[in-house]
Amino acid sequence: MKKYLIAAGAALVIASCDLPDNGNTKAPETVPAGTLVANATVSMVDYMQSINVNLNNFVLWSQHLTQTTYTDESNFDYNNRDVNGNTFDRMYATVLRDLSEARGIIANDATLSDATRAQQNATIEVLECYAYATLVDIFGDVPYSEAIGDDLTPAYDGAAAIYADLISRLDAAAGTLSGDNGLGSADLIYGGDGDAWAKFAASTMLKLGVRLSEADATAGSAAIAAAYAHGVMSSSADNATLAYTSNPPHTNPLWDDLVQSGRTDFIAANTLGDVMNANSDPRRGAYFKNLDSTGAVTGAPYGLQSDYYSFSQPGSALEVASRPSSLMDWSEVQFLLAHAAQNGESVGGTAQAYYEGGITTSIEDWGGSAADAATYISGSTVAWDATNWRALLGEQKWVALYTRGNEAWATARMYDLTMNVAAGANRVTPNRMGYGIDEYSLNGTNCEAAGANYNGDDDTARIFWDVN
Amino acid sequence: MKRRVLLLALAGVTMMSFGAYAQDGGADPDTTMYPRIDKLDEVVVTAFGISREKKTVGYAVQEVGGGEVTKAKADNFMASLSGKVAGVNVTQSGTMGGSANVVIRGYKSLTGNNQALFVVDGIPISNQIANTSNQNTGRGGYDYGNAAMDINPEDIESVSVLKGAAATALYGSRAANGVILITTKKGAKRKGLGVTVNYGMRQGTIDPTTFVNYQKEFGAGYGPYYGPDTINGYYTAARAQAYDVNGDGVDDIAIPMGEDASFGLAFDPNLDVYTWESIFPELDSYGQSFKHAAPDTDASDFYQASSTVNKSVAIDGGSDVSAFRLSATQFETNGIVPGSSLQRNNITFNGSLQASDRLKVSATANYIQQNARGRFGTGYDSRNINQAFRQWWNVGVDVNKLEQYYYENPGTNITWNPYGYGAANPTKPHYFDNPYWSTMENYSSDSRDRIIGSVTAEYKINDWLNFMARGTMDSYSDIQEERIAVYSTDVANYTRRNRQFSETNVDFILSGTKWFGADNEFSFSGNLGSNFRRTAYDYIGASTNGGLVVPGVYALSNSASTPNAPSESRYEIGVNGFFGRASLGYKNFLFAEFTGRQDVSSTLPVENNTFFYPSATLSLVFSELVDLPGMSYGKLRANVAEVGASAPAQALADAYIMGTAFGSQALASAPSTSNNAGLRPEMTNSTEFGLEMMFLENRYGFDISLYDQTSSDQIMPTKVSSASGTIYKYVNAGVINNRGIEISLNASPIRTENFGWDINLNWTKNENRVMELYEGLENLQLASVQGGITIEARAPETDADGNTTYYSFGTIYGVAGVYDDAGRRVVYDHPRGGVRYLRGDKEVIGDINPDWMAGLNNSFRFGRFTASALLDMRMGGNFFSLDTYYGMGTGIYDVTAGQNDLGNSVRDVVVGNPVDGYDASSGGVRIDNVTYMDANGDYHEGVSAYGNMWYYANYMGWATAPKDLHVYDASYLKLREVSLSYAIPAEWISQYGLKGASVALQGRNLAILWKNAPYTDPEAGLSAGNIQGYQSGAYPAVREVGFNVKLNF
Repeated sequence: MKKYLIAAGAALVIASCDLPDNGNTKAPETVPAGTLVANATVSMVDYMQSINVNLNNFVLWSQHLTQTTYTDESNFDYNNRDVNGNTFDRMYATVLRDLSEARGIIANDATLSDATRAQQNATIEVLECYAYATLVDIFGDVPYSEAIGDDLTPAYDGAAAIYADLISRLDAAAGTLSGDNGLGSADLIYGGDGDAWAKFAASTMLKLGVRLSEADATAGSAAIAAAYAHGVMSSSADNATLAYTSNPPHTNPLWDDLVQSGRTDFIAANTLGDVMNANSDPRRGAYFKNLDSTGAVTGAPYGLQSDYYSFSQPGSALEVASRPSSLMDWSEVQFLLAHAAQNGESVGGTAQAYYEGGITTSIEDWGGSAADAATYISGSTVAWDATNWRALLGEQKWVALYTRGNEAWATARMYDLTMNVAAGANRVTPNRMGYGIDEYSLNGTNCEAAGANYNGDDDTARIFWDVN
Repeated sequence: MKRRVLLLALAGVTMMSFGAYAQDGGADPDTTMYPRIDKLDEVVVTAFGISREKKTVGYAVQEVGGGEVTKAKADNFMASLSGKVAGVNVTQSGTMGGSANVVIRGYKSLTGNNQALFVVDGIPISNQIANTSNQNTGRGGYDYGNAAMDINPEDIESVSVLKGAAATALYGSRAANGVILITTKKGAKRKGLGVTVNYGMRQGTIDPTTFVNYQKEFGAGYGPYYGPDTINGYYTAARAQAYDVNGDGVDDIAIPMGEDASFGLAFDPNLDVYTWESIFPELDSYGQSFKHAAPDTDASDFYQASSTVNKSVAIDGGSDVSAFRLSATQFETNGIVPGSSLQRNNITFNGSLQASDRLKVSATANYIQQNARGRFGTGYDSRNINQAFRQWWNVGVDVNKLEQYYYENPGTNITWNPYGYGAANPTKPHYFDNPYWSTMENYSSDSRDRIIGSVTAEYKINDWLNFMARGTMDSYSDIQEERIAVYSTDVANYTRRNRQFSETNVDFILSGTKWFGADNEFSFSGNLGSNFRRTAYDYIGASTNGGLVVPGVYALSNSASTPNAPSESRYEIGVNGFFGRASLGYKNFLFAEFTGRQDVSSTLPVENNTFFYPSATLSLVFSELVDLPGMSYGKLRANVAEVGASAPAQALADAYIMGTAFGSQALASAPSTSNNAGLRPEMTNSTEFGLEMMFLENRYGFDISLYDQTSSDQIMPTKVSSASGTIYKYVNAGVINNRGIEISLNASPIRTENFGWDINLNWTKNENRVMELYEGLENLQLASVQGGITIEARAPETDADGNTTYYSFGTIYGVAGVYDDAGRRVVYDHPRGGVRYLRGDKEVIGDINPDWMAGLNNSFRFGRFTASALLDMRMGGNFFSLDTYYGMGTGIYDVTAGQNDLGNSVRDVVVGNPVDGYDASSGGVRIDNVTYMDANGDYHEGVSAYGNMWYYANYMGWATAPKDLHVYDASYLKLREVSLSYAIPAEWISQYGLKGASVALQGRNLAILWKNAPYTDPEAGLSAGNIQGYQSGAYPAVREVGFNVKLNF
């Protein structure tokens, strides 16, 4: 009997074999840094260009377009689809996180020279600053100094303080960037050209400086001067552009929502249509289709449900899958320089010249001729008038920023453009976006403290640079 | 049949259940409910298949006979458990071959698996729910069922449900959710071979109380903004489009057919209009106008009768030393949706051989092959026809025409919802395809091949000691294919997923039983064992990209653009477990038992991967000590137990996700869930008390269990602020408590030779409370679903007075209405006339958990007839309906039309308000007993008001309504099963070589006797799993009636 017990006991022990490995053999624990930078770039440009109602509503908020049947987002309902939460998820958990991961990999990559490492870090720095500036321009205070790290409930930083820090980071980056950043084809914007990145860094710094100058003329002026000294964009060849492919999913997001979806959600808003008609804008046929017999845009009342076929619709130029998309372009930079010049900054030209240059570049970008531009600029409602410069510059920049909802909305806010009252919401476009429900439930104390700076997270409260 | 115990060894403990039960080959092989064996000697099957006298067991075990499972068959045998076992909550998703959610004693894991473990003849089998997360959250996809439904109900001898942690402690971590032990039929010693042939067939039709009642007054459109007010002099109030269809230079009335709502032009049988039937050149009606009228039939006509056929043959035999059973079953069903079918073939063998006096060997093998085509699309997706039928529909459409046009024009998607006149592509589908196109062309198909088997050797070492070695395996491969045809609304697509799963278990168990003492008044029994489990999973899924080049070719190579890289995953899990059990008995009435198990798991960090958990139980058969009048049996039981559980695979270290290359540039991204290298095992602690009593020769009895179970330190990916750079992070956190009461009552008021009446009642109340979440987190989102609703586990809230409110796992959270102190809803002016409900903050607006559940079965036996009826009841719990949320906004339901008490159409504009009164011409839906907030913000309590109902942004639809308007009571009382069977007298059939024969009529889900939720089956859901309480495109319930013939040769 004893032997049986021994046999049984032995069997118990023998069978105690090794446990299998718990590692993931189908996903890498480290990747080339460039793949992360490229992903962050695509993710961010996708977000900026998107008109998907779940992700980015600002082409509606800037009242360039309005919706046909389902008008919730035109009427500023962003909580229902958690657009604010989706914006946080996209910018922090994808764009900024991937940039941060790339930075970590670059720091530990012994094959890189210190010089190349510095170039790559500075490139990442520009993208990060652009992302944070975008967040500030939407929400105001956002997590910054404690964001992307071990702290699961990062504190919110003041919008103005973030701006100040971004300006100094861009200043350093613009000073560092030059030559080849070594990212090669992983640099989807400039193909590794550090000099081009330096101009983008300086131009982004210029944008922040101009906005800052609204609230703090001295600091703004300093930033503008430093940015200009670094050398900003000087032609369309400097545009920070992502060339989309025609292979889904890396198609232009406009094509996704206007063509691929098969939906008929978006039509011209009367806010933009009326302005373009009043100015006899040569871009009307490129911006929209289904113009009336006089070539005028039929804009639908903003925020009111309307029949798709009765109004002008986004133009066929927007329906090209591989349409390139810019984070910043020469037209926008000229409008920024016009603003700076008008404020007395020394930026290599007059306000009028930059204003007209910004318009001309935009018209040419949309397929118009120099003659079209000249005619347009000479029109009585467009021609430069230094006594009315804010209204003119604001309106023309807002028109030129078609399909670039974030910047168009920021422009409408900064220059106090007259927006229509949305028919359903019975209010004009908000001045900021309130924080998402997830932040309240997951990071409540910090989120509520930040909301308190905006009259209880009120979306009519203003971000620091939006002084009126 | 009598249940005969063959191996009832010594002090009530025997190893294994092989051969423990057998039929005695009589004429009535189906019944198990009737003559009960003496309660004192009743045997139950417990963990690891250990058969034990029930009196010695100190925890709740409830058994269901095989006959009960096949009495009124369901596609998924798990559905047949509903209402039959206290403490078990079974929810069926309502699609052909769809999954059943089986949760025992409440949800215990915040984010992990809550499904019961299924063990067949000692083989733990996979119950994987192979549905995508999109499917689970209502974003579209198919419910491919759960893997345990492969078990053939015809092979089931009995089902034993182990509910609490003490009962399942020996199974270890994976059994924390309870175990459903299935014992299959076996061969037994007999003369010659026994042959059983079974043929069953049933038909099903939809239950109209679970489908939409459509309004029949208004056609397509969202509101009055399609054109001029008059067309050709006819007043349309701009609810129709003006378009010169026939080219006569005069505008015609065109229905806005590109719209998927019914707030359009009122039907008027004298009016000529151009509809979707006018626009397709393929149709004879091209260019013709139609009278504007509601069709004779509505969308419910789309559903066909389902049919199911079940055929099986079983052969069994046995000698003194061996026994076997071989069975083959073919199951075939065609669902209520055209083009849907599912076939399943099972071949099962089991055999045993007493090789020597000491050695017994046995083996089982079960081969299962399943094919399905055209499973029902679910959720918010164009492939779910109910997305249109219940949410976005033009009630002017005749589905019979859609059917006719589909079949007459192969390859053409003639839809009710083309873009329409004026569009660049007038006949292109806008939002929806023809539903016949959706189900016949955009179909899924899947198949699974599976082998479940075991080999066992039992060796009798001496007269008190046995040793058993057993190896088991469950292995399957499956494929799922999904298609979207070219010319559909959605981008054409082909997706395939292949899975390979295997689990092996190797068990060694030493068992001993011994008596001690002068009069052998002490007994001991125990086990010492080990269990080595290995699970391997391999998955690859791939899709075409950007459409298909050649229509009808469903191959990855037919992708219009370069396909994305396939997604792959592969993992292995290993657990080594060592366990022991010791049971001590005193005389025939006191039994104490202790168990312990130690697991070493591969999915935890090495420093935390070994964990031990014990249990202790006590059973006191007090009827042996005291004599109460009428009492024939009485037992008290109590137990405490702890069960540990380990982490999911690959939750320790982060890995990057490779994306689809951008051109030629590779992309990589950090995962949205951050893993955690410091995870620890989670723990569940439970306490249970029970009382069983039988009276009057066991004719009346009850069994009550009280339990309290707390799961803590749960391993879960918790959502964190995305500003941290990650969206989810794996943590050890969270405490869930379940406490409840289960009552089973049995009565046999009449028990004579020719007549018997048995009543069985099960009643369950489980209270589930989330006690704590990760570091002060207020809520854990289980799912974010369309409609602005989240399903959550919310942490307790303590108010200023120190009162704590606990929430259960599965609260429905969303924007609520505003109520006054008397609980009346507050309404205020809709800017376009009438009132709408005031919307408040996001709050808890529902709870998926029922308050209680009950099942009542009555069985009658009169002579050779037996009849039974099962009532299944669920009280309480809620669900959110995306169907009415959208459907009220599109004006398809009956309540959005008709007349109000002023004699005007509710679709007319409301004129007036509760303070100034309403004009006699006012439209709108009258809402009584609300509080009106006027334009000055003053409240007028308890008034009647008229709700705006003339266009989509009305007071009930998604555009204005608070979400809680679409939260419904999920209660129901269902006539779940009815059966009537007749055992044919042997003398009538013996001349044909038959030893027995029976015929039965069976009905399933015959009626919902009571419910509060309109237009739907309150039980309908998307899929088994943790996300319940949400309906989107729900399928109607199916009433099934059929018959069954069983012949024994």
